[in-house]
Amino acid sequence: MGKILVPVRGTRADDEAIKLACTLAKRTGGEVGVLYVIEVKRSLPLDAEIDEEIQKGEMALSQAAMLAAKEGYELETELLQAREAGPAIVDEAHERDAELIVMGLDYKKIFGEYSLGDTAPYVLRNAPCRVWLCREAMTVENHH
Amino acid sequence: MKAIIMGCGRVGAQLAAMLDTEGHDVVVLDIDPHSFRRLPQTFKGTPVVGNGTDEDVLRHAGIEEAQIFVAVTQGDNRNVLAAQIAKHIFKVPRVVCRIYDPIREQMYRALGLQTISPTIAGAQMLRKALET
Amino acid sequence: MYFIVVGGGAVGYNLGKSLLKDGQEVLIIEQDPQACQRITEELGSVAVRGDGCEAKTLEEVGTARADVLVAVTGDDEDNLVACQVARHKFKVPKTIARVKNPRLEPLFKLLGVDITVSSTNLILTHIQQGLPSHPLMPLLTLKGCLEVVEVCLPAVSPAVGKRLKELALPAGSVICLLVGKDNLPVVPTKDTVLQAEDCLVAVTQTDSLVQLQAALAGL
Repeated sequence: MGKILVPVRGTRADDEAIKLACTLAKRTGGEVGVLYVIEVKRSLPLDAEIDEEIQKGEMALSQAAMLAAKEGYELETELLQAREAGPAIVDEAHERDAELIVMGLDYKKIFGEYSLGDTAPYVLRNAPCRVWLCREAMTVENHH
Repeated sequence: MKAIIMGCGRVGAQLAAMLDTEGHDVVVLDIDPHSFRRLPQTFKGTPVVGNGTDEDVLRHAGIEEAQIFVAVTQGDNRNVLAAQIAKHIFKVPRVVCRIYDPIREQMYRALGLQTISPTIAGAQMLRKALET
Repeated sequence: MYFIVVGGGAVGYNLGKSLLKDGQEVLIIEQDPQACQRITEELGSVAVRGDGCEAKTLEEVGTARADVLVAVTGDDEDNLVACQVARHKFKVPKTIARVKNPRLEPLFKLLGVDITVSSTNLILTHIQQGLPSHPLMPLLTLKGCLEVVEVCLPAVSPAVGKRLKELALPAGSVICLLVGKDNLPVVPTKDTVLQAEDCLVAVTQTDSLVQLQAALAGL
């Protein structure tokens, strides 16, 4: 196994994906890169520095690093600014020549309907490598 | 007075019939001849098939002698274009334009067009109905 | 510079592509979700699904910081409104509209659109430039060997100031109608004197078209 890319959003669903990627990398001697994409609103220039968003991203990345350390693994982290996460993740996978993308997904409903969001479908449709999605379990309120 | 109404939907047909009854010389424009079925049997005005954003069609409908031009097609933008042609090119003295989108309506009103937004008026009427 | 392109059809797509190649910041607003998806997959994150005439959409995409808005949908009215909203609500310094009906160009300019582009007019200009300036205009072919043509006499024509009978017309050619500056049709006699800008309708042998043109238009 070569490089594994784990895009994170700073939610609980990230943890599973990171753990899975680290376990896999350890066993096969691969590398894990964790990516956080700050989606910059179009009303701002792409290189705008949005402190709040940067903080959130850095937090998610350090959380990921901590989790990996617990698994006895050291990973690379990267913070990116883009308009949309999907295309940024796919570009990154191309650039790093990733062999696998592992993404965590929350169970989310929008207007009462299950929603995959925009990012996962885009990555599934366009990523050059294999993609694994780890969906979180439904929460109690989602169950009903 | 000569009036041109662009769009023979429910509102356009109703307005055309009113002005006709009041004795005005009314021309109703619509791209779909089928829509003229909404005009009452007694309608004495002239239905004209054509696109009101086309100067030739407007001329043919007699816009050069019209005192009134009302744009009430289903398309906000079509109404806006036609109303501005009537106002700025043919200098029709009285031009009224329906715009559903309240934000656009406000902007064109600020630009000097006489506009009506049935969206706001309709919501207000419904709100009022809830009070009684 | 930040360019907002309203309309992601063939024109918007290719325009966006060229601007991106120039290193500009580009955003394409397109209503059709599939077209949007295609643009994103081919050009990257430069498409937003929405109505480019709606102030809300324009606000979300940061029209207030745009340098240029180009409206190239297939509908003239939509292009006009997108430009007007950009100009009056968001103070975009430059607006450009595609106009299908060329006669709307002056109105668009009057209403504050900086630049209008009409492919109809562009094509017409090219056609007119490609033609000789005072050609014979073919009107009709008779019996497969005769041509009915119209010609407007330019001031430089060798025929100007001459009587009909003095003209060196090719054999088998007849001038059957003359429309002068007063726009009244006259059947000319052999003593009629021709003037610049007279329009003539002539019948000639197909083989003699070039000679007729030389005699009447001087080209």
